[in-house]
Amino acid sequence: MRLNELDQARLDGKFGKAMQFAMQTIVTAAHIDQADRLIDISFAHIDACFYNGRAHLDFINYMLEHGATLAVPSWTNNGLVSLNDLSVRDPLASREMDEARQLMQAYVRLGCNPVWTCAPYQLPGRPELGAHIVGSESNAVSFYNSVIGARSNMYGDYLDVCAAITGRVPFSKLHRDEARAAQVLFDVGKIPSLIRDNDLFYHLLGYVIGCSCGNQVPAIVGLPSSCDEDDLKALSAAGSSAGSVPLFHAIGITPEAATLEIAFQDRQPQQVIELSVADLQQARNELGNNSDQALAGIALGTPHFSYTEFERLVSLLDGRSIHPGLVFYLTTSRHVYEQAQSHGWVDSLQQAGIKIITDTCTYFSPVVNGLQGKIMTNSAKWAYYAPGMLPVDVLIGSLVECVESAVSGEVMLDQWVDA
Amino acid sequence: MNQQPLSIQARVLVAGCAEGPALVLDDTLSFWGGFNPANGEIIDVHHPQHGQRVGGRILCIAQSKGSAGTPGGIAETLRNGSGPAAFVLGERDVNISVGTLVANRLYQLNVPVVEISIEQMRQINTGEAMTIDRDGTISINR
Repeated sequence: MRLNELDQARLDGKFGKAMQFAMQTIVTAAHIDQADRLIDISFAHIDACFYNGRAHLDFINYMLEHGATLAVPSWTNNGLVSLNDLSVRDPLASREMDEARQLMQAYVRLGCNPVWTCAPYQLPGRPELGAHIVGSESNAVSFYNSVIGARSNMYGDYLDVCAAITGRVPFSKLHRDEARAAQVLFDVGKIPSLIRDNDLFYHLLGYVIGCSCGNQVPAIVGLPSSCDEDDLKALSAAGSSAGSVPLFHAIGITPEAATLEIAFQDRQPQQVIELSVADLQQARNELGNNSDQALAGIALGTPHFSYTEFERLVSLLDGRSIHPGLVFYLTTSRHVYEQAQSHGWVDSLQQAGIKIITDTCTYFSPVVNGLQGKIMTNSAKWAYYAPGMLPVDVLIGSLVECVESAVSGEVMLDQWVDA
Repeated sequence: MNQQPLSIQARVLVAGCAEGPALVLDDTLSFWGGFNPANGEIIDVHHPQHGQRVGGRILCIAQSKGSAGTPGGIAETLRNGSGPAAFVLGERDVNISVGTLVANRLYQLNVPVVEISIEQMRQINTGEAMTIDRDGTISINR
């Protein structure tokens, strides 16, 4: 691999030990990926601020003690705890929660923009089409690549930070044109439009694609004109929970897929898969069952709730309150929270009985206070992960179904894909 | 089952030395969510080796799955001593390698990560005594 003079100087320790360690890590990654050179990045979304043991804290403390600084604007993913409301996961309850808080504060000291969100693409200042960036949280990588057309591989913890410190990544995989060509085509055109216009459709579709596309880049044809960024967020999150889908193309919708020929870079699909309502029904069943247990709560906002989702929720709730005895959690970013607050939505939703949380999410352990038993969510990602980590029994529904169930206190499902 | 001693030249992803019994995983694994880094246990309920612990083993795995959290899970399990003695991969895997590289650096460890082909991995059986040298030579003593 060719290193330029500046990279070599970084590797030789001329910019201190933190830069040297970061560069060694980037060069190791380049060696593994068999990249022939490094390229500049313009932005990083950092996942290593999400606590996963003492090693995370040791790593960033080592970097800070040895003079690490950021080469590019770097935004933070969710933390394990909410710095705005430490009672969500009690920091005094265990050493781990306290270390999780310290970890988040260390990334603020490094100079990160503390947005604490898994949906950074909902905030102003997002990368442009073709920009080389570092994404880490899987839904964000998928959204950046697919919906914005920025270029990122699925970077994991530490490599994200090392890239932000050096401003460099290996020129490999999704940074290169040829790796971005679609390979397998999913056709949803035969599914009735009533179903395709439902927000749940995108969660189920993402799950089906994630389960069946392997390491191939999927393209989707037949999505309706109503498809918006909330729908594409759902696709990104579901696809990269059920499988590994760091890039997908939606023909006629996403920026590198104006036509089939463009998305497939003039090659033929290796496989064409026509999806039916039965595939969606199966996905819904695999993501949870409507068991005999009484409904205990609702969880929305995985990935973080957007401004337009707030708007829809307020409209669907229409002044009604959540049924007494149910817990209702909604997770979002600080930025969107402030937007919602400026419309009076935060106050009205809180008065209705909804707990709004920023900085973190509810689908992973340790469990957020009161979240147990049968939980309904509108998120395939929540439904996929939570049962393995929390004492919950999960059921997935559309936003309408979640709202109507929350108000009535029992599960209310539409007819089209009954669980 | 082949009972002859076996030597495989692997590609070195992270240099180190190790010896221990092999644990050959039948499926990929996410080291965030599917693995408990506090005790080295596989906790993914869908994994065929759910409940097994990786501590001290030479972990043979095609590659890790999904999550950005895998390097952290690897570094933490190596930090607290519940992790494998080495990783033998069937595909190049940046996440496992970076987690190991960071742990080796922070905690002065010498854990190797090497890559062989999936066909070569099929010749290794769980429980066999293995050694890995710094140059990537794998020896299996039967």
